[in-house]
Amino acid sequence: MGAEPGDIANVTTRLIQIRWGAGILVPLATAVCVHLLDLPLPAHILYLVGVCILVYNAVLVWVARRLYSPKPALYLRRLQRFVLLQVALDWLSMTVFLHLTGGVSSPAIPIYAIHMLSVTILLPSPSPYIYTALGVGALAVIAVLERMAILPHYTVIPILPPGLQLDPIYILAQIAFFTMAATATVHLATLVMTRLREHERQVTALLETTQTVSSTLSLPEVLERLAISAAKALATSRASIRLLDETGEHLHMAVALGLSEEYQTKGLVDVSRSPLDQEALSGNVVIVKQTATDQRIQYPKQVIKEGIGSILVAPIIGRGRPLGVLRVYADQPDRFTSGDADFVLAIARQGAVALENALAHETLQHADKERAQFVRTITHELRAPVSGAQSLLRVLLKLRKVKLNPQQRDILARVEARFDFLAALINDLLALAASKTAGFQKAPEPVALQPILGECIDQLAHEISEKRISMAYEAPDTMLTVCASAEGLAQIFSNLIGNAVKYTPPGGELTVHLTQRTGSAVITISDTGIGIPAKDLPHLWEEFFRASNARRSQIVGTGLGLSIVKRLVDSFGGLISVQSVEGKGTTFTVSLLVTPFDKPTS
Amino acid sequence: MAKILIIDDDPDMILALRLCLEDAGYEIIEAESGNEGLEKVKSENPDLIVLDVMMDTATEGFQVALTLRSTDPESEYAPYHQIPILMLTAIHTTTPLRFGPDEEYLPVDDFIEKPLNPDLLVQKVKSLLTART
Repeated sequence: MGAEPGDIANVTTRLIQIRWGAGILVPLATAVCVHLLDLPLPAHILYLVGVCILVYNAVLVWVARRLYSPKPALYLRRLQRFVLLQVALDWLSMTVFLHLTGGVSSPAIPIYAIHMLSVTILLPSPSPYIYTALGVGALAVIAVLERMAILPHYTVIPILPPGLQLDPIYILAQIAFFTMAATATVHLATLVMTRLREHERQVTALLETTQTVSSTLSLPEVLERLAISAAKALATSRASIRLLDETGEHLHMAVALGLSEEYQTKGLVDVSRSPLDQEALSGNVVIVKQTATDQRIQYPKQVIKEGIGSILVAPIIGRGRPLGVLRVYADQPDRFTSGDADFVLAIARQGAVALENALAHETLQHADKERAQFVRTITHELRAPVSGAQSLLRVLLKLRKVKLNPQQRDILARVEARFDFLAALINDLLALAASKTAGFQKAPEPVALQPILGECIDQLAHEISEKRISMAYEAPDTMLTVCASAEGLAQIFSNLIGNAVKYTPPGGELTVHLTQRTGSAVITISDTGIGIPAKDLPHLWEEFFRASNARRSQIVGTGLGLSIVKRLVDSFGGLISVQSVEGKGTTFTVSLLVTPFDKPTS
Repeated sequence: MAKILIIDDDPDMILALRLCLEDAGYEIIEAESGNEGLEKVKSENPDLIVLDVMMDTATEGFQVALTLRSTDPESEYAPYHQIPILMLTAIHTTTPLRFGPDEEYLPVDDFIEKPLNPDLLVQKVKSLLTART
């Protein structure tokens, strides 16, 4: 087997099972032959042999159980030694059995075939041939020893002429044909095993490629995994991937596995001057059998210097258009076969799919980032003039020396209100756009709630005192942390608390309360403001929705705030609810899962 | 009466600031760029500086503050270290939690957001001036 401990373990288990059969069959057959057929077998020794087989098989079972190790390399080594142990014991018992059943004239000689085949399955070349030699050798030694009467001869089949085992021609014939048959069997079995292992390896590699390459959307990772898969599949250590640029005329090195710096930077490959790549890009796999003599290589000196003997180039074809080439390098010339070519082509096809996905993902991310940047730029450009206009209006309306009649003051106040609305709308649109752009959202991390709540309240301190609103903030001493982004939380609470301040008439009350309730942090923001009519409550989270009483009031609002808050709360996996009585007040309740506080890794 | 230097590249902003602060009785000097502002600090020696965070480039305001408060003993602005700096910021330009009159981040004494709140501006200017006397 290749290097799979599991497979070896399975086969050895099977062998142990078969051996139980052998251990029982030997005494049984002996009993039948001796008592029923009256054959002159050395019954007692044969019984002994059977018992021995059973005993050592039991020992093998016991050893097998203690072989396991969590370290695969160690487990493999142990299994391999175990296999050798079994093979040795079997060879011994087989040799004894052959001697006891007639030596060179034993009818049991073909049973050796079972051993030879199992050795071919379990051990790599040249072990099967060595075993064959040992088997033939053992038989030859028995024959010689019996002929020289050092060992007794047992005639199992009575009709055979006595002294058969003494005839040199008979001995030579038996051994010669046995050797030929054994060698041929082992040779053919080895061929089969080699093909089997090869196919197994290819299938595993292909499966692995599919899994690993498609499991990521990151372009560099896809490329690296593809190169590694291809190299592994062809049992080499060097591979590279080159991708076509937009013009389709140049290939740039995207991944280089096991190649020296020198080789990698030999320059942008001009497709028109590289016959290898041209041929590959047209859809064929190209094999360079001998780098020393192949005319198609663009930089032969560097290739030789790098120690590359043969190259296999496969095209990576996307949907309808070539994406690049995959190259696998081997130290020896003539390493790659047409079977390898088919195989690498299959891998390259898998890779192409994953590559296209990764490229699409990259394009999407790029577009996303550009859009986010665009939104930010626009809002900044819009804010500056609006802010300038607001500043001037406010100053004008506040200046003591400015004499305005009531109507002029009223008009200016209306203009100011319009600009205030515009500014609020710009801010809210930016926040809304941000919440809809995937790339804009920061990764959640543990964030403490108390500092954020405190900061939001501080920012509104001026407005709160101006409106003479009595503010109460209660929070526990122990820091409560949730998994979210600091900016997101700041947005949520400055919006909710800001609304409470905005919609509460002067002299009102505002309470912000933070507490922990069974694994969640619960924040309630209650005010004694204008409240929300019951019929408007279900629509509160809709974009641009404003409650009817809010609309009728003079209070400026864009209708976006709560939709942004809801999006953010949802993205953090939290819950938000509202209770309100029109004319009395409103309470918003936000709950977020508490996370244990870890030092955030920077 | 105290002299205030306004450094801002937006003429409307300068006008709004000037009107508000003159109304409160302060003398106003203007500068329309970071460099001009630094020169006027040396030539006029104001009692307070109002500095806009963003002018021509995103970092111009920061640069002026850092230059003025440079810890380099050879700096030509060393004599002016004591002048309080009030920074004008646009709303939401930086995370509220990270931006503050903190020596670590930015060596300014206080900040105020645009658009202008005239009462708040005068209040902050007053408290910065009394703190330094």
